[in-house]
Amino acid sequence: MVRLLRYLAIAVLLALIVTGLLYWKGTRLAPLPPATVDFAALAAPDRAALVARGAEVARDADCVACHLDPEGGSELGGGYPMHLPMGTLYGTNISPSREHGIGEWSADDLYRAVAWGVAPGGRNLYPAMPYVSYHAITRADSDALYAWLMAQRPVEKPSRRPDLMFPFNVRPALSLWNALFRPDAQPFAPAEGEAPDRARGRYLVDVLGHCGECHTPRNLAFAMTEPALGGQVLEGAYAPDLQQNSMVRRGWNPDDLIAFLHRGVSPQGVPTLTMLPVLQQSTSHMDDASLTAISTYLLGGQGRAAAALPAAVSPDPAGRLHYLGLCAGCHGTNGQGQPHSSVPLATNTTAMMDDPLNLVRVIREGIAPQELAHGERMQRMPGYAAQLSDQQLAELVNYLRQQWGGRSEVLTAADMQKLIKAGPAH
Amino acid sequence: MADRITFEATVNGQKVGPLDIPADLMLTELLHEYLGLTGTRVACGQGVCRACSVLIDDGVAGSAAALTPLPACVTGAAYASGKSIRTIEGMAGDDGQGNPVPSAIQQAFLDHFSFQCSFCTPGFVISAQALVERLERAPVPRDQVEDTVLAAMNENICRCTGYVRYLGAVRDVVLNTPGLTTGDPEPAVTAAAGPAAGGRG
Repeated sequence: MVRLLRYLAIAVLLALIVTGLLYWKGTRLAPLPPATVDFAALAAPDRAALVARGAEVARDADCVACHLDPEGGSELGGGYPMHLPMGTLYGTNISPSREHGIGEWSADDLYRAVAWGVAPGGRNLYPAMPYVSYHAITRADSDALYAWLMAQRPVEKPSRRPDLMFPFNVRPALSLWNALFRPDAQPFAPAEGEAPDRARGRYLVDVLGHCGECHTPRNLAFAMTEPALGGQVLEGAYAPDLQQNSMVRRGWNPDDLIAFLHRGVSPQGVPTLTMLPVLQQSTSHMDDASLTAISTYLLGGQGRAAAALPAAVSPDPAGRLHYLGLCAGCHGTNGQGQPHSSVPLATNTTAMMDDPLNLVRVIREGIAPQELAHGERMQRMPGYAAQLSDQQLAELVNYLRQQWGGRSEVLTAADMQKLIKAGPAH
Repeated sequence: MADRITFEATVNGQKVGPLDIPADLMLTELLHEYLGLTGTRVACGQGVCRACSVLIDDGVAGSAAALTPLPACVTGAAYASGKSIRTIEGMAGDDGQGNPVPSAIQQAFLDHFSFQCSFCTPGFVISAQALVERLERAPVPRDQVEDTVLAAMNENICRCTGYVRYLGAVRDVVLNTPGLTTGDPEPAVTAAAGPAAGGRG
């Protein structure tokens, strides 16, 4: 008995030491890179140029995605809910309000928050703030972003507190997570021999664009894991695999990818679900050079012509009748679609994905009218949950995947039930 | 596509078919060209304006599908085959001597002078009829009628902009038909309705 207690004591002691070491590692930050700008001595034209560059950084980093006020009126006032397995987080007020926003922050404070995930006073940010991706932001970009943020209108609105279950509501405990999963902040630099165009694309995709936050699978601790950009289900939607071979298999090529990110329309589809705001708030504002760089990084100049799309695999005849009955009126008997109103399905990637979640969701829930970008739009798609039983839905999904997705799997009504439950729980 | 299907259905209570039709025939073409039912209107042709709405019963009485208007211009005959379809021609009743009697919704549209050119009217009648039948199964509190009517009719487009009279007519039918709403009926005299209505806000 005494021996058992002794072992227990040793185990507790070891656990305490490990926790202490992790906490020490998770709270220890390397010295910050020095500011690139002397904000106090900045001449007006230089400040204007810096603010303009900061606006680009904010667009590239899509700050608005999470920090906008969903009730309208402000892009930085906060309140946007993020529904996660451990509870709900709300985007915070990052306007220069001194009381509710970041009006009291210095440029160092902003860099520390963006690259390390630590706010003034040592308060840990939740990793929903993508500092794991932003860790390689350059100090120059962080400083430009600071200049832009401080030039915006303050929003006098308190941030909404997170609504998380224990133990995720204990902020200091995030230091342990940080010790295990947070890379050290290290300003981005091209790899040796890396072409400038590819390096720019890598910086936009992996760092500022933080694409992996949705597109990279997560481990049990909800940290990004391998393979990078390998696709995952988050907030009830499947963020597809963006690895080069997978994108090429789904028919992507550089021109179409650039069109998709710029106008929101390509033969492969339009941004839906959680990707639509990314187009509207971020990628549609990027210049040609940035979009080309992204395409270079993701596709490496590879791409497949439409003629090489997957061949049909014995399409489900019952599913075909559902298609002709409910889909063909807008998407065409042969999946050709209608410009500016209904997407072509013959080249759409949704039926090609490993995970049929998005296909099932779109068929059942429909899509609200989409104002895409630069004048492009798509009309409303009705949802057909009421018209299709699980069995009929499975037949339709099988038909679409077999006819245009090059996929031979036969899904069942039970599979549909599982996918319906994987959809938005809120 | 050259392939064809055999179409059989019940349309406004009457057996139709078997008909040999193209597999991708849209329902409006079937109604107009094969069945001579031309009351269903085609305007946008892409399922947006709702002039062509019809009700298609999936065989489960009162199911969501049966009470959801579908745009016939983009709904294939393949979906409707084997089902029961109701169009504008099936809305009116009968006085027992072969004379048509307008439905409550149709009568209300006449009383309210709801339509001008009337092109969109069949679609409005169908949407309103579907709402009435939904409310028969699931009544709403009287103070939600305004929003419920707007939500149910919101998809229907009227280029003469007769919305106020259309919505007013549907609201009257809903408020004055027993069983469609819950809670106390409003006093009939408008002047006396003030305090009672105020209590519900």
